[in-house]
Amino acid sequence: MSNKEVRIGVFVCHCGTNIGGVIDCPALTEYARTLPHVVFAQDNLYTCSEAGLAQIKKGIEEYNLNRVIVASCSPRTHEPLFRATCQEAGVNPYYFHFVNIRDQCSWVHMNEPEKATEKAKDLIRMGVARAFYLQALEKNQVDIDPRALVIGGGIAGMTVALNLANRGFPVKLIERKDRLGGLLNDLNKVFPTLDDATKLLEIKDQVLEHKNITVFTSTMIKDVEGYVGNYNITITKGDEEEQFKVGAIIIATGAEVLEPEGLFGYDGKKVITQLQLEKILKEKTLDAKNVVMIQCTGARTDERPYCSGICCMVALKNAQLIKELNPDAQITILYRDILTPGTEYEKFYRDTRAKGILFLKYSPDRPPYVEEDHVRVLNQFIQKEVQIPADLVVLSTPLVAYEDSKNLAQLLKVPREANGFFLEAHVKLRPVDFATDGVFICGCAHWPKDINDTISQALGAASRASTILAHRTLEVEGAVARVNEELCVGCGICMKLCPYDAIARTEDGLAHVREVVCKGCGLCGASCPEQAITILHFTNDQILAQIKVLMEGE
Amino acid sequence: MEFKPKILGFLCNWCSYAGADLAGVSRIQYPPSLRVIRVMCSGRVEPIFVIRALENGLDGVIVMGCHLGDCHYIDGNYEAVNKFKMLQKLLNPIGLGDRIRLEWVSASEGVRFGQVITEFTEHIKSLGPSPLREKEANQQLLEELEAIARVVEDFRLRALVARKRKITEEGNVYEKIIPEENYEELLEDAMNAEVIRSKIYLNLQIGPLSVKELSKRLNLDSASVLKHIVTLRQQGKVALDRIEGLTPYYIAIKV
Amino acid sequence: MEYDGKEILVIGGGIAGIQASLDLAEMGFKVHLIEKDPCIGGRMAQLDKTFPTNDCAICILAPKLADCARHPNIKIHTLSEVIKLEGEVGNFNVTILKHARYVKEDACINCGECTAKCPTKVPDVFNTGLQFRKAIYLYYLQGVPSVMAIDKDHCIYLTRGKCQICMKTCPRDAIDFNMQDEEFNLNVGAIIVATGFDPYDPTPLTRLGYGRIRNVVTSLEFERLICASGPTKGHLERPSDKQAPKRIAFLQCIGSRDINNNPFCSSVCCMYTTKEAMLAHEHDPQVESYIFYIDLRAAGKGFQEYIKRGSKEYNITYIKSVVAEIEEDEDGNPIILYEDMGTGELKMMTVDLVVLATSLLPRKEVNKLAKVLGTELDEFNFIKTTPFAPLNTTKPGILACGCARGPMDIPNSVAEASGAAAKAAEILRRW
Repeated sequence: MSNKEVRIGVFVCHCGTNIGGVIDCPALTEYARTLPHVVFAQDNLYTCSEAGLAQIKKGIEEYNLNRVIVASCSPRTHEPLFRATCQEAGVNPYYFHFVNIRDQCSWVHMNEPEKATEKAKDLIRMGVARAFYLQALEKNQVDIDPRALVIGGGIAGMTVALNLANRGFPVKLIERKDRLGGLLNDLNKVFPTLDDATKLLEIKDQVLEHKNITVFTSTMIKDVEGYVGNYNITITKGDEEEQFKVGAIIIATGAEVLEPEGLFGYDGKKVITQLQLEKILKEKTLDAKNVVMIQCTGARTDERPYCSGICCMVALKNAQLIKELNPDAQITILYRDILTPGTEYEKFYRDTRAKGILFLKYSPDRPPYVEEDHVRVLNQFIQKEVQIPADLVVLSTPLVAYEDSKNLAQLLKVPREANGFFLEAHVKLRPVDFATDGVFICGCAHWPKDINDTISQALGAASRASTILAHRTLEVEGAVARVNEELCVGCGICMKLCPYDAIARTEDGLAHVREVVCKGCGLCGASCPEQAITILHFTNDQILAQIKVLMEGE
Repeated sequence: MEFKPKILGFLCNWCSYAGADLAGVSRIQYPPSLRVIRVMCSGRVEPIFVIRALENGLDGVIVMGCHLGDCHYIDGNYEAVNKFKMLQKLLNPIGLGDRIRLEWVSASEGVRFGQVITEFTEHIKSLGPSPLREKEANQQLLEELEAIARVVEDFRLRALVARKRKITEEGNVYEKIIPEENYEELLEDAMNAEVIRSKIYLNLQIGPLSVKELSKRLNLDSASVLKHIVTLRQQGKVALDRIEGLTPYYIAIKV
Repeated sequence: MEYDGKEILVIGGGIAGIQASLDLAEMGFKVHLIEKDPCIGGRMAQLDKTFPTNDCAICILAPKLADCARHPNIKIHTLSEVIKLEGEVGNFNVTILKHARYVKEDACINCGECTAKCPTKVPDVFNTGLQFRKAIYLYYLQGVPSVMAIDKDHCIYLTRGKCQICMKTCPRDAIDFNMQDEEFNLNVGAIIVATGFDPYDPTPLTRLGYGRIRNVVTSLEFERLICASGPTKGHLERPSDKQAPKRIAFLQCIGSRDINNNPFCSSVCCMYTTKEAMLAHEHDPQVESYIFYIDLRAAGKGFQEYIKRGSKEYNITYIKSVVAEIEEDEDGNPIILYEDMGTGELKMMTVDLVVLATSLLPRKEVNKLAKVLGTELDEFNFIKTTPFAPLNTTKPGILACGCARGPMDIPNSVAEASGAAAKAAEILRRW
C-alpha cells in the first residue's frame, strides 16, 4: 500500500431517465461526497457520451484523482470504455471501480425509488471502500499465432476459410463427414434464384486447392488447450491423432433438420420432411398429384418456441418446383404466419401464389389432422373444417442444434442458449463473438438462417477473427494471480486446482503463476491453505473492505 | 419498525452477474434487499467472506455461479460447492446455516435471477433480522462465529476442502480413492476438532485457564479438552503459563 | 503490422459503418469514415430501445461512437459526401465534398451558450420535426463529434448577412463564418457503402390520415416521443392535446407488402412495433396496445419469445387484419375501420393514438451516390448485390452492408458490416 494520498472521484450517471427516473442521483452524488477519501463527486446525464467522458478526464485533472468510480449501468458493457478513459487521463485503468445502479438497481426496483436510492448509496459506499485498496496493474503482452481453425466444412466454414486464406492467414478446416459441403450436399435447388445447390458447392474446389487451407475430412476435435492467440488443438481421424497450434477458432458446425417423429403421422414415405422432398425432387421421382405442406411442424411450440426462419421459403420453393414438374399438381400450404421478409422473398411469395399454390392459415390450437388420403383442417375464414386431398404430406420442420454441440461447447468453454444453439457475446453488437476471446461463431450453429445470411455472417466471423490474427502480439488482462513465495509451502494444491494449468513448480518446489496463461478466476487464492496467493484486482482486502462498510448505512 | 432484509450476494461475472443484468434489461422486478460483490468465479468466494458478512449483521448471504458443467473457468463452481457445504456444516450448530445459500443462475436466466432473489428474501424475512444486528445481546454467538472464522482461515480445513475432488476422484497420496461418505466423515471429524481447538485458543487469549475451567466453559469433558491442549501445544499455539498447586494453567501464544 | 498503405472508404456513419470501420481499424487498415450529418450514429441513435433485449440504444451505441472517434486508424469526416469516383478496385480516386461546419471542431467545447442565444428556430430533423432546434445546434445529445454546427440554409448571417450573436457569445472563439465547403481527394483500395435507411413517408396513404389526423404518428416519431432524451423527455403525449394515450393502435406494413406502395417486406417492423408497444406499457401500465398485422415475422434469436412476452405481460393484442381507413372523432381520437381476418367481419376500433409502422427505404441521396459510384440499384433503389455474394455490389471493389442493401435489424447489420470489412481486407489482400 503506497503512502500516496488516496483521492477518489465519483461520477453518478442519470443515463437519461433510466437511472435518474428512479434513483435520486443528486442525493447520491451528495452522499458520495461525504465518504472517506472522496475529493470530488459529480452527476452526468450520459457518462458514456463524449461529453461525459470529457467530464471524467476534467475531474481527474482538476482534482488530481487517483481513483475513479462511475455509478451507472454495467461493467460488462462499459468497464473497458471507462478504464480506457482513465488511462488516457493518466490514471491506471485498474484504479477504476464500477458501481451498477441501473441493470441491478433502477431497472429492477422501478416502483421503489427510495429503497433503490438507499441500495445505490450502499453500493457506492462499498465501491469507495474497495477503491481504497485498488492497485495499479500492468497488462502483459502475448505472441499470436496467425493461423485459424475452422470447425465445419459447410458453406459457412468454407466461406470463412477462403476469406482468411485469401488474405494470407493459414487455415485448418475440420469436417467430421467425409466430404465438404454440409447441408448443401442434400439440397436440390436454392431459393430465391432456384439455382442448383451444386452451383454453390463450386467453392469446394477453391477450398481444397488453396495453398493456405489444409482440409481434414472425417475428422473430429479431441482436445483444445490454451487461450486466445495460442491454442493447441488435437484432432483425431479414425485412430490417428494430430496436433497443431492456432490463434483463433471459428465454429461453423451448422445444424440439422428435425425429423418429426410422432408428428402428423410422419413415416418418411407418405408423410415426409422438406429435406426428404429435396432428394425426391433431385432424383425426379415425384409421383404425387395432391401435395399438402404443413408449416411450423415441431416449431413455435412450448417445447421449441423459436421460428426457424427458412422453412416458409423452403416450402414456397419446393411448391414452385413441384408445380413446374407437374402443372396439374394441387399444392396447398397450411401455415401459421408466412415468413418472407425482405425485398426478394416477398416477391417470391407473390409469385408462388400467382402460380396457383393455395394457402390456408391454421391455428396452433386447431392443428391439421393427417388421415389416409387427405388432411383435415379448420378453415378459420369460413369457420368450417375442410378436407384437402393429399397423396403426399410434406412437413416443414425447423433446423435444430446438433445434440453433440454440447461437447464442443465444453471443449471450447463457450455457452449455448436454451435451444442448444451457441450463445454469442451480445445479441446485437457482438453477434459473432463469444465472451471468451479467440472463439467465433457463424452460420446455423449460431441460429437457423438462409444461405445469404450464412455467407454474410461467415465473413463477419472471419473479420472478427482477423482482428486478433492480424496482430503479432496481444495484450492480456492484468488481473491475475500472484504467489507470495515467502508464505508458500509448496503443497501443490493450487497447481492441481487451476483449470488452465497456469501454475508451475519452481526449482525450490514453490508455486509460480504463469501470468500469460492465468485467467484470474481466483480458485487458487481462495483455496491456498496458507493464503499465500493474491488474486490481483479481487483481493481479500478489497472484498473484506466492501463487507465491512455494508451495514454502516443502518 | 419494518424489517428491511439486507443480503450480500457474490455474483460470478460470467453467469450470475450477467443473469442479474439480464433481469435488469428485462425489467424483472425483485426486492431491493441484495447488495452485490462481483467476483470472476463463484469458486473465488472464501468462507471467511461469508463469516465476516454474518458477523457484521448481514441477514443473509447468497453465492451465485454458473450451473455445474457450465462454469466459465470449467469447474470453479465445484469448488464453490465444496466450500459452501463445509461452511453450512459449521454454521448449522449455531443456527446460522439457513441464512446462507448457494444458487446457480446462468447468463440467460434473467427471470430465474429475479425469482431466486425474491424467494431468498422471503425466506430471510421469515427468519427475521440477523441476531448479529444486536452484537451486545449476542456475545456468545459472536464468539462462536469468531471461532469458526479462525477455523476457515486455518491450514487444515482449507487443505482438506481444496483436496476433496482429488481425494475422492483420483486418490490420495497413497493413490487410494476415498469414497465420498468417508471423506465427509473425515471432514466432519476435522471440523469438530478444529472448532473446539479454536474456541480453546480464543478463551486462552483472554487469560490463562485450567483444563477444568475450559471444560466447564465449553461444556466438554476434561479428557477431550486435555487432548486438544496437547495438540495445540505441539502446534505451538498454546503454552503453559504457570502451575498452581497441581493444576496447570495454559495461555494462548500470540502469532 | 504490414499493409500496402491502401486505405479504405466507408460511406455512412451508422452502426454498420461504425462496425466496419472498427473491424478494419483493428486489422490495421486506415479507414476514412464519411458521414453526411454533423455527427455519426445514424438511425440507431434515434431509437429509444432495441429488440429483442430492450436495452437502451444509445447506451450500447455510445461506447462504439467513442471507440471510433478515439481510434488512431479511423478518420471521421462529418458533413461530407462523395461527389466523384474514378479508377478501379485497388485504386479508387474519390472526391469528397466536406460542407462547412462554420464551427472549429477542435475549439468547440459544447457549452451551449451559442445555441441559447441563437434567434432562429428550425424543425429538428433528428427529433422527426417534433421540436425545434436552433440554426447553430448539436445534432443530438450524445453525438460524436460533440461539437456544434451551423445550418447555412437557416442561419440569419449566412442567408441575409445579419446577426452573428453566436460568434460574440462563444467563449472559445470557435465560430468561423469564413469557413468554406472544401473538396479533397482520397485514394482508397476499397469502398464500403453503409448508408442505412430513410423511413417511408406515409402522407400519400391518405386513407390512413397521416398529416390530416393529428394523433396518427409514424414509428420513428413514436421512438422520439418515448425516448428520455426526446422532445417530451420520454413522457408519451399524443400530439393533439398532450394527453397520455391509454389505447394505442399499431398498424403494420405501412409502405410495404403493398403492391401500390412498395411490395417488399420491411423485415423488422413486426419486431420493432412489439418493442414500441412494450415501451408504452412500461411507461404506463394502463396502456393497451393493438397490433394490426398481416403476418407476424419474428424469426431471429429470441424473437418468438419476445412476441409471446408482449402479448402475455405487456397487454398487447395481435389482430390479423386489413385496415381500410382511419377517421377521427370530435376529440381527435382516431377510429380504425378494418377487416378482422380471423372472423371475416368488418369492425371499428376507437383508440387514443395510432402508430404507423413505416417501412425502411433506401436513403433519398442513394440514387445520386449510386451514379457517382457506378453501382446498380435494385427496383426499390436498394444497393444491388449479387446472389450468394451478398455483400458485393455490381462494381468490383465496392461493397455494401446493412440497410443500404435491404431492410434488416441491428444484429444482421453488424454481422454484415464485419463481413464487408473482411471482404474489403480480402480485396486489399494484406493483413
